[in-house]
Amino acid sequence: MRCRFIIAGVGLAAVLGAGITVYAGWYDISATDQHLAPTYWLLDTGMRRSIKYRARGIAAPDLADPARIRDGAFLYRQHCLQCHGAPGVAPAPFALGMTPVPVPLVHTARSWTPAEMFWVVKEGIKMTGMPAWKYRLSDEHIWAVVAYLPAMAHMTPEQFARARVFPPQPASPEEAPSVEPSAKRGVEAINQYACVTCHEIPGIVGANAPVGPTLAGVASRVMLGGVLPNSPENMVRWLRTPPHFAPLTAMPDLGVTERDARDIAAYLATLK
Amino acid sequence: MRLALAIALVLSGCSGEAPPSLGGNPENGKLLLRQFACGSCHSIPGVANASGNVGPPLAGVAKRVYLGGVLPNTPENMASFIREPHKADPRTAMPAMGVTEAHARDMVAYLYTLK
Repeated sequence: MRCRFIIAGVGLAAVLGAGITVYAGWYDISATDQHLAPTYWLLDTGMRRSIKYRARGIAAPDLADPARIRDGAFLYRQHCLQCHGAPGVAPAPFALGMTPVPVPLVHTARSWTPAEMFWVVKEGIKMTGMPAWKYRLSDEHIWAVVAYLPAMAHMTPEQFARARVFPPQPASPEEAPSVEPSAKRGVEAINQYACVTCHEIPGIVGANAPVGPTLAGVASRVMLGGVLPNSPENMVRWLRTPPHFAPLTAMPDLGVTERDARDIAAYLATLK
Repeated sequence: MRLALAIALVLSGCSGEAPPSLGGNPENGKLLLRQFACGSCHSIPGVANASGNVGPPLAGVAKRVYLGGVLPNTPENMASFIREPHKADPRTAMPAMGVTEAHARDMVAYLYTLK
C-alpha cells in the first residue's frame, strides 16, 4: 500500500517538474542545443518505425529507367541539394544550422527502400525541417528523385561535378479536377499552403496569427478580401490569385492548384 | 511535449504593452461606431447590434497586421482607412462614411481595445 503511494507521488512530481520546466522556459528550444542521447534515440527510433510502417504497400515504378534518373538528377539539384549536399558538395550554410542537420542522402540511398524514400519525400517529417513535397511535385517527379538517389550514391565527387543535367519535360497543363471537392483533404491543404499562419481558422491547429482577418464565419461573409462578392466559385478564384482581384492586397499568390483551391473552399464552406 | 510547448508559446505571446494611441476617447468611439452603422457590415464586440458579416469581424482587430488586407495596422493608418478606405484600396467595397478626423480618432481608440 505504501509502495503504491510512493510510486504515485514520484509520478506526480515528475509531471509537475516537466510542467514547470516548460512553463518557466528552462527547456532549451534552441537549434544549437542538441537533444540528450536518450531523447535523440527515442525520436530517431520513432521516426524510423513510423516511416517503415507508413511506407508499406507502396509499389515502385521502374526505377532503372534512364529517363527517370535523368529527370531526378535535375530535380535533386533544384530541390534537395541545398539541404542534403551531394558527393563533394556541402549543404548550404543555412542548412548546417538546422537541428536535426539534414542527412547526406548518399547514405540514405543505401539504407532505405525506394518506397520508404518516396513516402518521406512526399509526406515530409514534422519537427525536422523535411518538407512534404506532395503539393509541390507530382508523384512522377518524386519517383524520379528516388530513382536518382542510388545513382548519386555511387558517384565520385568528380563524376557528380561533371554530370550535365537537363530539365524534365514541362508538365502537361493542369487539367480540371475530376474528383469531387473534399473538405477533409482541404484541411491538409490549408496547412500545406500555410493559410493558418496568417488567419485564425476554426478547427485548424496552427499559428493562427492575425495577419489577415479571422475565417470564422467566412462561409456567410458577404465580401472576400473586401473586393469580391463571396460565392463558392469566387472563393476558389480568390484562393488561387488574390492579387488578380485586389492588386494591392498583402495576401500573396501561393500557387494553389485548382483542385487544392476547391478542397480548401469546401472546408471553408463549413465555417458558417 | 508538443502540447506543453504550444501552451508555452501561447503564454509567451501575452505581453502587457500599452496600445499606441492617437489620444481619442474610446467610450465615445464605441458610440460613434454605432452611429456610423459600422455594425451593419462588421461584427464589433461591445457595440450594440454590431453583427454584420459583410466585412471581417473586428474582434481582435488591435492585433491584426493588415487593415483591409492592404495597409499595415497602426493607429494612424486605421484612422485614415476608416475615413478614406479607397485611398488605400481603390477596389474595396468599404465606403467612405464621412467620418471626421476627430471621430475617427475616437473610433480607433475603441477598436484598439479589441485585442
